Amino acid sequence: MLEIVEDQIAELKKLWKNKRLLLHQGLNLAMIVFSALMIWKGLMFLTKSESPVVVVLSGSMEPAFQRGDILFLNNQANPIRVGEVVVFKIKDRDIPIVHRVMKVHEKASGAVELLTKGDNNRVDDRGLYAPGQLWLERDDVLGRAVGTLRYVGMVTIILNDYPALKYVLVSIMGLFVLTNKEEA
Amino acid sequence: MHTYWVRLNAVFFYGLNVLLGLSCCAWVSCLQQDLDFHSDLPRPVVDTVRVNELLSLRAHGGVDRALLSFDVQADLTPAFHWNLKQLFVFVLAEYQTPKNELNQVILWDRIVETEEQAKLDERNIYVKYALIDQANELRNTSINYYLVWDHMPVTGRLFMDKGFGSKKILPKEYF
Repeated sequence: MLEIVEDQIAELKKLWKNKRLLLHQGLNLAMIVFSALMIWKGLMFLTKSESPVVVVLSGSMEPAFQRGDILFLNNQANPIRVGEVVVFKIKDRDIPIVHRVMKVHEKASGAVELLTKGDNNRVDDRGLYAPGQLWLERDDVLGRAVGTLRYVGMVTIILNDYPALKYVLVSIMGLFVLTNKEEA
Repeated sequence: MHTYWVRLNAVFFYGLNVLLGLSCCAWVSCLQQDLDFHSDLPRPVVDTVRVNELLSLRAHGGVDRALLSFDVQADLTPAFHWNLKQLFVFVLAEYQTPKNELNQVILWDRIVETEEQAKLDERNIYVKYALIDQANELRNTSINYYLVWDHMPVTGRLFMDKGFGSKKILPKEYF
């Protein structure tokens, strides 16, 4: 372990002397970061949703979705219908909620009011909404779930539970990218 | 050099890619059944969704509320395949009122996890969620009853399918 660290330090020192290589590796790192960002922003554009992929954090939709499943969202304009699983956000609350639409009331103007409920919950979500709020509106909805993958989100959950791990992981990865030698 | 780390890293991320690829394959393997293109596969059948008895219709806290019981007979077994975790089955009441162009209310739902449970034969079951309007416009309203099932796969696309059950007009007066 110590050996690896020493190796890394030696590599970094070498890099520091060779400015051209340093620049190259720096650009490499930037490439990785920016392509991740581009994919995310591209998905945002395609799905019209501010968060195209979400991780399920609670068991309120079990057995359909468990903690750690990821959902792909679509927020294009077509109307929301009953039975769809939507992700919505309540004012003044940070964490979005994934629940199923149980009621839809749509006016001729297209304005829609929704009531949601978790499959695993006994009652509807009025208790979760803002005080006095009876219905969700279209703007509260971040998107409807269109696809699912299992377990992938566990990484996110672990990183959220242990924030220190996030920084350790990111710095290790950054270091490896910087010192990674290209085999031409 | 740190070849162990590099190898571990490569194996881990290659493994992730393989898993992702297999998940996609799992989804593709069931596409024919899901999309029903030129196949002779049996389709889910909805025989009956109809009101058995209307128990009450009255104003309740300013909004109309109807309590009823109904019969459901359907065979959803063909919707099942190995990549399906569950069906979320529900009875839907759909109607139009002067206030709202479209009202959709779920009256009853059930999570079906195995093929054996997918043959529904329920008689005279009571609503799980009352038929509550957003205003007081339920009287003399024609209501369409559907059976809808939402496919929830292990990995893949979420989508719904529905079958029409029946249509019935609620009485003109409260009772």
